[in-house]
Order: sequence, then structure tokens, then C-alpha cells
Amino acid sequence: MRFDLDGLPVHFPYAAIYPEQHAYMGELKRALDARGHALLEMPTGTGKTAALISLITSYSLANPARPLRLIYCTRTVHEMEKTLAELRLLFAHLPPPAARSLLALGLSSRKNLCVHPQASAAAARDSVDTACRRLTASWVREKAASDPESTPLCEFYETFDRAAAAGDLASFMPPGVYTLADLRALGRERRVCPYFLARQMVKYANIVVYSYQYLLDPKVASIVSREMQKECVVVFDEAHNIDNVCIEALSVSIRKQTLEGAERNLRRISQEIDRFKATDANRLRAEYNRLVDGLAQRGNLPISDAWLANPALPDDILKEAVPGNIRRAEHFLAVLRRLVRFLDGRLDTENVENEMPVSFVASIHSQAGIDQKMLRFCYDRLHSLMMTLEITDTDEFMHIQTICDFATLIGTYTRGFSIIIEPYDERMPDIRDPVIQLSCHDASLAIRPVFDRFETVVITSGTLSPIDLYPRLLNFNPVISRSFTMSLTRDCICPMVLTRGSDQLPVSTKFDMRSDPGVVRNYGRLLLEMASAVPDGIVCFFVSYSYMDGIVNSWHEMGILQDIMQHKLVFIETPDVVETTLALDNYRKACDCGRGAIFFSVARGKVAEGIDFDRHYGRLVIMFGVPFQYTLSRILLARLEYLRETFQIKEGDFLTFDALRQAAQCVGRVIRSKADYGMMIFADKRYSRHDKRSKLPGWILSHLHDAHLNLSTDMALHIAREFLRRMAQPYDKTGSGGKKTLLTEEDLQNMAQDGMEM
Amino acid sequence: MGSLTIGAKYKTTIKDPGTPGILRMNDDRFTFTPNDPRSAMKFNVDFRTIKGHKFNKVEGNKAALLNLSKEDKAGGYIFEFDNVGNRDLSRDFVARVLGKHQGIVPPRPTVTPENSVASAALEQLSAAEVERRVKLLREDRNYIRSLFLEIFCKNLNFGQQERTYLKMKQIKDQNKGQVSRMRLVDIKPTTDGRTNKVTFQITPEMIHQIFAEKPAVRRAYLDFVPKKMSETRFWEKYCRAEYLVRTKNTAAATAEAAGDEELAIFLKNDDILAKEAKMKIKRVDPTLDMEADTGDDYIHLPDHGIHRDGNKETVDADSELARRTLSQDLNRHAAVVLEGRSLDVESTDPKTLAEALVRSKKEPPSTSIVDDANHERLVKVARMTEIEDLQAPRSLPCMRPLCIKDPKEYFDSQQANALRSLGGSNDGRKARTCSLSTEEAFHHLMDQMSSIKVNKLNCPIIQSDMALKEVSKACLAELQLQEFLELTIPRSSIDGYPGIATAFLVIDPITSAVLYNKVQRVKEAMTQIYQKLQLIKESAQPDALDAAFNHDVEQQQKSSKAGNRHNGF
Repeated sequence: MRFDLDGLPVHFPYAAIYPEQHAYMGELKRALDARGHALLEMPTGTGKTAALISLITSYSLANPARPLRLIYCTRTVHEMEKTLAELRLLFAHLPPPAARSLLALGLSSRKNLCVHPQASAAAARDSVDTACRRLTASWVREKAASDPESTPLCEFYETFDRAAAAGDLASFMPPGVYTLADLRALGRERRVCPYFLARQMVKYANIVVYSYQYLLDPKVASIVSREMQKECVVVFDEAHNIDNVCIEALSVSIRKQTLEGAERNLRRISQEIDRFKATDANRLRAEYNRLVDGLAQRGNLPISDAWLANPALPDDILKEAVPGNIRRAEHFLAVLRRLVRFLDGRLDTENVENEMPVSFVASIHSQAGIDQKMLRFCYDRLHSLMMTLEITDTDEFMHIQTICDFATLIGTYTRGFSIIIEPYDERMPDIRDPVIQLSCHDASLAIRPVFDRFETVVITSGTLSPIDLYPRLLNFNPVISRSFTMSLTRDCICPMVLTRGSDQLPVSTKFDMRSDPGVVRNYGRLLLEMASAVPDGIVCFFVSYSYMDGIVNSWHEMGILQDIMQHKLVFIETPDVVETTLALDNYRKACDCGRGAIFFSVARGKVAEGIDFDRHYGRLVIMFGVPFQYTLSRILLARLEYLRETFQIKEGDFLTFDALRQAAQCVGRVIRSKADYGMMIFADKRYSRHDKRSKLPGWILSHLHDAHLNLSTDMALHIAREFLRRMAQPYDKTGSGGKKTLLTEEDLQNMAQDGMEM
Repeated sequence: MGSLTIGAKYKTTIKDPGTPGILRMNDDRFTFTPNDPRSAMKFNVDFRTIKGHKFNKVEGNKAALLNLSKEDKAGGYIFEFDNVGNRDLSRDFVARVLGKHQGIVPPRPTVTPENSVASAALEQLSAAEVERRVKLLREDRNYIRSLFLEIFCKNLNFGQQERTYLKMKQIKDQNKGQVSRMRLVDIKPTTDGRTNKVTFQITPEMIHQIFAEKPAVRRAYLDFVPKKMSETRFWEKYCRAEYLVRTKNTAAATAEAAGDEELAIFLKNDDILAKEAKMKIKRVDPTLDMEADTGDDYIHLPDHGIHRDGNKETVDADSELARRTLSQDLNRHAAVVLEGRSLDVESTDPKTLAEALVRSKKEPPSTSIVDDANHERLVKVARMTEIEDLQAPRSLPCMRPLCIKDPKEYFDSQQANALRSLGGSNDGRKARTCSLSTEEAFHHLMDQMSSIKVNKLNCPIIQSDMALKEVSKACLAELQLQEFLELTIPRSSIDGYPGIATAFLVIDPITSAVLYNKVQRVKEAMTQIYQKLQLIKESAQPDALDAAFNHDVEQQQKSSKAGNRHNGF
């Protein structure tokens, strides 16, 4: 359909539109008009993505003078695929001339895009990267020019390189939507490297879909997203965890293995230096001269040489000459050796130590004689040295790179970080595993450049409650900040709080109760009863892997699991992603064929992050317990302290907020549209308390009746049966009475006219 | 108590061939003098340093062993005897000496010499001692558990395999393939609690499932049995490995796997499954593919990102022996159930089963190249992304959704419909059945039955002769009823009735299951009629009787026919 939104013609890929989508687009348009940032919470299952992409595309089509480009950031690759599929749907509904002018593509790593038969066969991401560099690095290609027999090259890259030199890349990629699979297929067909093609085409594409870190992690962002201009609209979808991504992007930890690996790397570098001194001393001299001239980086590197970049944010990187005492390769090597030895000494501790970067840098200075400025330049100096030494197998050198990342970060930042040295994990005190952790506490650091650089940044998710917390955590001022509720044709979601088991005893995952066999049995009985009453798919979320493991084993011992399996097949999320993916695939098959299945998953795990359990894939989701973080973690405590001091956010508030956003995220996965329906059971007595419950997003709270706040298993079962029967009845999709829940083109025209008249 | 001198071999470990020599024991010490004077295996030990003793059960040509364990748990002295008699002699001697020593120095309550308990040497203990131990055990359940585990793990470590019995019970499962396929294969060891014995039970059904879910075990079976080992031995090893996994005794598992390469196979990751997973992951729906996600994740480079903040749990997967978990088993089990490939082999012989499974696995074509342009997948993804209720109504043939507001009303209306459609044909049949006499109807029925007998039932849920018996019973009842009715009411009013059974048989394609149902229904209907007739006879006025019958019989007939239609026949 095509309609008019405050003077903007909007193309929408469906015949009807939800009123909240319409309102959402209105807010979005205002943010674009105001060239400011927006924070929008809209319930899952109301078509956020469709609304977003159609409005922004329509906006840029309608304003040729202001060519908007969309950078759509997703948290995961599978969400990227979903977004691209929506884009394809939208493009099919655009008027043909418009559709023929737009290019949308997804971007991922070499691991996901490489089509070279040997390089892509490598199992790990780093090995694919290395295999690629072995075939495409500039020095390898130089060597191949003189000695084509013994130096294999990548024919896909060569095609790309020729086309890039001729300025002919666009001919490989006509406008349209390219998913990762499309890119690979294109690469195979045209014998061109899809990875580098996509990397180059990102500059010209109207819509780019990639993962958060391509903008937020400075190591990746400064290679991939350097050339994005100010006109871009940046969207962070499913952004409720964005603060965690931000702090993770700037955190590094060092273990014993890291230091050992770093020492190995240093030995190897030293050998390489000796080799070059003997054969090609000019190279090292040239590097020295370049550094004297003040260039840490060698200007424009060929695209294939680019390696992970400086871990510090672009604005914080010193644009100065490299300090004199690390310009010579041998001297720099000696500095690194001293640093590694110092860290090794610090790692050898029996006590937990918590330090600020300033004092840590001071002790490095006094004990190893390395000053702050040298630390800051560690990363760039290493990078330059590796280029000079023509090292291709970057995966081997991860360790020394980690050390340099660490050094650069502590040399650059004085606040918002702390260094925590732990001799062992508190949960496993008998296993000695010392680690130096540099952890970032301030989510606003990593996202600051994004807010500064782009006019409009949209942060959106189904769960952003309380919505006033995010501007504080991320330290920005949105021009639009709004939380939408859901207008429902019928009560298609049914949240319940289950506080007691069938024996009327309370259930909870509180630390002192979770291993109580009574609670375990009650949880098991709950699932068993539900499995016998609910059709198709059921999803269960647990608070952690270890808890899930424990309780599933107990159910197995008690025989409850066997009883459950009489009703439905059981699949479990494991730490192994391949296995989990296959389990999910089988789960869907089981739901498709009518066999019915149960999926056990973890609240902060990968499945909870982006897999939808909509329609028959999830008729019921049970959240066993409140997914609090492990509160004794030193990093968490340090972060809480920082939040309290800097943003005046209370510890308890933050913990509850964090747990409830995870829980809401988990249960929100069952709804996809208003035609869909699903139940949500919060199985823990703590959910009945007002302070916990009130932090759930409004669209869940508004459906949580008072009568559903303190249920036992049998009552919940009764409600579930009633609900399912009610949902099985036909209903009027467009909404009954005065409340329209589905707007057609005609309705919209009428609304516009009414608005004019008023 | 005297002394004992006996010939024995001293072994440092179980696998050690041993040093032959002389074992001398007296009340205080025991000495061992090797036959070969150059050997260093010469010692003289105080019995007070000995904490307990253990011995093995001797079967076949196994050596008779006696193990004297030291107090500090740093090992012990293992002796091998020429025969069981000698061993038992010295065992009894040791037991007496130890009993004496330990009687003098009363052991602290928590440190009972549990190893002597383990050695079934209860008869050596005084009654008071036994009582004390029973009391202790009763008081402290954890202690029992730790004791149990300790005994077991020790025994497993010492390789006393003969303590792990395996019983192959060929249980004939009546409805096999139905019940057990729903369950997870779970070989639970059973213990009787008194002796040091673990029993496993394996049924052919379980074997089938193990082969289906664990291809590596299947392959090992085909490779090893019967060339390398006997079937029993194979399953014994398998159960042993399962037991080690179950008790989570990683140390023992590693030790066992190091010494026994066949056993190690069961403890390792299943490489066939891993290969299959690699193939399958390429065909998976991209909106589910979490592997691609890890391939794109540069935040969690090794040592980057936040660890130990309480969210991530570190799992060290570097152990060569697989960390096999229940989760994996569950996933695998569900996947196999979902595949649902039924074998055409109706055999209980594990060998044929395994081979059949291998054959059935081979059929999928090995398309190693990923089909990126897979049309089907694209269509599926597109369908998944669409928001269904925003979509314009598709041009499907106009269908009204099934709406059942009030079930009673709905079924009544359905019945009315069915009757109306029946209306026309009813007359015709009336005319036809009218002409049939009771005998004719009966003959007709008999004909039908014989034809069934000749043609054989192709859906034998109940035995055909049983069905026939039921049908004839029903028919007899019907004939009786008919006669009764003829006697009591005018013929015209029940004209339509006598044909019920015949009509059922004539109209429908007959399978015995359907037949059985129908006969049941007819019987039910007729008992109702009997009751009603009885009631009417007792209560109703004679002149109203005719009308009542009319109505009743009609209702009965209609409902039985309508109900019949209802199920789609």
C-alpha cells in the first residue's frame, strides 16, 4: 500500500498497517526531520523492522536532495538475514523505477562470505582470515608477479582487484537486495570475491545491514565503517543489550596462555627481524624513517592488508609521532618483552586486586620503565612492524595483539575502566586460573563516536523499559523518546506469574531455594502439565547453563523428563553453536510436522538473543526464575559502583532492570503479529512483587491481570486451557467496535481528512 | 595366631606380570622374599600400616588376587596366588590379623575400614562391630554415598571388571518400537545395595536405539564383533563407558581410556555425528544459523570482551575425551525420533540391525556444495518474514472458518444436515429392505461374512474370527429383537429397521477395525432399545404404545446412521 504521512509518501509492503506502526513511523519521521536521535520502544510482534525500513527508504526516495542512507545494525547474523528478507519484500512493493535504483546488502566476515574452496574450508574465523591473507596480501601478490609458479593466488580476489582498478565494481552488483547467501552465489557465478566486493560496495549501497560491532567496536569499525558519511541513519535494532555490547567492545582480558603465546610471538618476531636484517635491511630502515616522519600507519593500505585496527576510539588516538624509543624494531621488541614480564608477575597473585588504570600505568612505569605514551602507541607500532615483516598468519599473533590492545587501552583511558586481577573464578575456587581483566564500565564511551558522527541514530527494541534509563547509560539526548503500547484485536498474549507449585509450596530460583528437590519437582510438574495441555511448541528459559544442566539432570533422575517426552520431543541449547543450531532446526521441524516439541534455553544465551518462537513454534514460554546476573562477580560489582558514582543509578535498580529486560526479551519471542498468540509464564514467586514486576515493559504489564499474579500450577493449567480454547475461535482481524487495530489505505485517507478538518 | 608361609607373586600394578616369591605372614608383619635374589622386590611390612584388604572374585582362568592397601592411601601390595585356595587361606589370615589390630586401636567413627566392608568379609567382624557400622550408615546418608562411590571408583580403577556384570536379557517386548522409542536410551545400572555389583540390562530394543543414536558405537560393533571380541564383551565395555560417563569420574575415565582403546571409542566424541552435523549446518535456515554468528563476532576474539561477569560460564572443551552431556543425548534422541526412519528389518539380531541402519544412512546424496540459491529455502524465509494479518486476503477459494460457538447447537445442526442428505436414499432402501424376510437378511449377512473370510481382512487389528463372532452375536441379537418387535408392534412401523447390520456391511468398505466399531455401536443401540422397550411396556398406555415405538425406533435408526456418517464413512 502507499499512503501519505504528514506530506511524505510512504511505501509499505502490506495491504494493511497496524496503528502503532503508523504512529511509530510518525515519530521516526519527526526524528529525521529534526536530524536528531530517537529512542523507541515498540512491542515485539508489531512489525518494527518493516515500519522502519519502509519509512526510511520512502524518506530518502522522497527527498532526493537529502540522500539518506540506512545503516541497519543487528545483533546477530540470523537477524541480519531476517532484515534482508524484509527488505526484499519491501523492494518488491516499491515502484519499479525506485526499486531499480536501490542497493541493499548485508556484510559479514570472511568466514561467512568466502567462496574460495580451500580458504573457506577452514573451521575457525581466524583461520579463514589468515588463509585469505596468505592468498591476497599485497606482498604475496607482488611475489606472485615475479614468481607465478610457486605462489598461489585467489582468483576471486584477482577478479575483484581488476574490476576495482577499472572502477567497474558496480557492474558486478546491480541494484537489489543481497543476503549473504546471494553474495556467495554471486561470487561463485561471477568468480569474484564476495567479501571484498561487499566491503567496497558498502560505500555505495543505500542500505547496509551488518552487526553492531561493525560500528561499535573500534577494532572493526575503523576498517569497515570509516567511510560512512554523516547523512547515514543508523538503526540499532533489538538494542536492549546495547550497553553490554559497548562495554564488551572495549574490554580485554589476559590469561596465562595469552602471556605464553605472546612470548612465543615475540620470539618469532625477533627471528623475522634477524632474517630481514640479513636479507632486506632496507625495509626496516624505511619503516624507521617513516616513523621518524611521524606516520604510525602507512597511509592507505591495500584493502586486503587491513587487519584489526586500534582498539581505542578514533578520536582518542594520538595523531603524533611514535615516541623515539620504540621506533627501532629491536627497541620496541624489548619494550614488549618487559611488558609481558611485568604482566606475568602481576598475574602471579594470590589475592584479588582491583586497580584503576592510572595506578596500573604508574606501576608499569616504575617497574618496567614503560611510560604512558609508549603504551598508547603499542598497538600501532605493532601493526606497523607486522606489516613491515610481511606477516600473514595473523591468527598466530593474536596473543601479542591482545597484549598491545590492553596496553593501548590503559594508556589511553584513565576513567571508566578498572583492572581486576583474579587468581581464580569465584565459582570454582579450587581451579587456579589467574586472569587480568581490563573491563570497561562506561557504555557511553564506545557509542559516543556513533552519536557524534551520524545525524540520526535510532535505538529501538521491544524491551527498553524503563525508557529513561538508556539515555543515562549511553549518555545522549534523544529528540524523540517514546514507548508504544500494543492495540490488540483480542487478548492474544497471556502473561501469568506462577508463584507456587502443585503442592502450593513457593517456587523460585533464589540461591537458597534453587536446589531444593521440592522446587525442582514443582518446576518439572509445571512443564509436564503444560506439555500435555499446550499444542505445538513450548520454549523454556532458565537462568543459566549450569542451572539448566542441573535441573534437567534432576528431572531425568526423577523420571519427569521421560514423562515429558511422552508428550513432546525435547531439545536443548548447548554451548556448542552447531549443535544448538541443528537442535533448533529439528525443533522447528517437529513443530511443523505436528509432533510438538519443547526447547530448553538459557536467558542470556544465544538463542534468547535473536531466535523467534512465533506462531506454532512457540505457544507457551516458561521463564523459570529471575535471570539475575551473578552478583558476586567482581566485574559486575565494579561496574555497579561506577554506575552509582557517575550516573546515580542504584545497584538494586540496575540489577532488577537488567534481569527483567532479559526475562521480557525471552518471553517476547513468542509473538510475531496480532494474528499470533502465546502464553508467558513467569515461574518464580519474586515476580509477584511489585518492584520486580513493574520493570516489565508496558505491553506485557497491560495484559497481566491481577488474577494472574499469584498462581499455582493447577490454576495456571486451567487458565492455559481456557486461553487456548478462546484463541481457537475465529475473530475479526480488523478489530471490533470503535477501536481499529488494522488500518487499510482507505482508513488512513479518512484519518488524514479528519485531521485536516479538525 | 601363628604364622603363614605361602608362595605368591608380588605385583606392583594389576597389569604387572609379577615377581614370584614367598609371602610370610605373622601376627605383626608380613614379608615377601622374591625367588630371584637379584630382584629388588623385597620388603618387610608392619601390619599396622595396612588399612584394609581386598580380593577379587575368581572366575575361569583369572588369577586370584589379594590387595593389602596402605593406611596413607599411597597404594598397596598386590599378590597373585596360584589358586583360590591359597588366596583364601591368606585372606582369612590377613582378615584375622587386621581384625585384631583394628580391634586394639578402635577406629575413629568416620574412618571405618570401608575396604574390608567392601570385600564381603563381614563374617569376619564381630557382631558388635557390624551393629556399630549399620548404625553409622543409617545416621549418615552422605557417608553411604561417598562410600558407595569410593568403592566403585576404586574397583573400576583397579580394573576388576568381573564385578561389573552384564546381563543380556532378551526381553520380548510386545509392542516394541512404540513405547521405548519415546524414551531416551538410558541404561541405568541397578545395584542391590549389599554386594559390590552393578547390573545393566540391555534389550534388543535398546540396542536398536543405541545403534540409531550413536553411529560410532554401531561402527565399532560392526568392526569388533565377533572378530575382536564377543558380543557380551562388547556390551560390557559399552556399559562400563556409560557408567564412567554417568558417574562423571573424569579421572577414572581418562585412565581407563588410556589403557583400553576399544573403551576409549565409547568415551570419545562421535566423529560420524560431527561429520553429519557439518553437512546439515550448511542446509540450515539462515535465520537460525548461529554458527554464522560466531563467525562474525569480532568482539569475542580470544581474550577480548568480558569474561567472568557472571553471565558466561567457561567451558573447557579441550579435554580429548568428550564432555558428553545429557543435553547432547537428548538432542540426538529427539533428532532420531524426528527422522523416524523405520527399518524394514524385523530382526532382533544386533548385527543385522546395525547393517540395516548403515544401509539406510547411506542413501542421502552427499551434496557437499552448498546450494546458496536454494529456491525452497528462499521461499521459506520469505514466508516466515511476512506478517500474516497485514497481508491482503489471498485469492483462496472462499472458505468460511469453522466456528463453534455453542457445541450443542453445532452438532444438532450437523445432524440435521446429515439426515436431510440421507432423506432421499432412505426411501429407496426402505423399499428394498422391505422385501427381505428375516431369513433373507440373515443369509445376506452370512454371505458377507463368508466373503470376508475368503478375501481376508487387510487391516487385522482384531482377529477376523473374533470379529465374525462379534458380528454374529450382534446379528442374533438383532434377529431376536426383530422377532420381538414383530410380535409386539405392527410390521409397517419397523420396516426400515431390520437392515441395520446389513446396511452397515453393504454400504461401507469393510475392515475389521471399522466392523468392530460398528458392531459395538449396534450392540449399544440395541441394548438401549431393549431398555426403552422395557420402560414403555411397563409405563405407557397400550394405545399410545404404537406411536411411542414409532418415534423411538425412528430416532434410533436416524442417530445410528447419522453418527455413522459423522466419522466420514
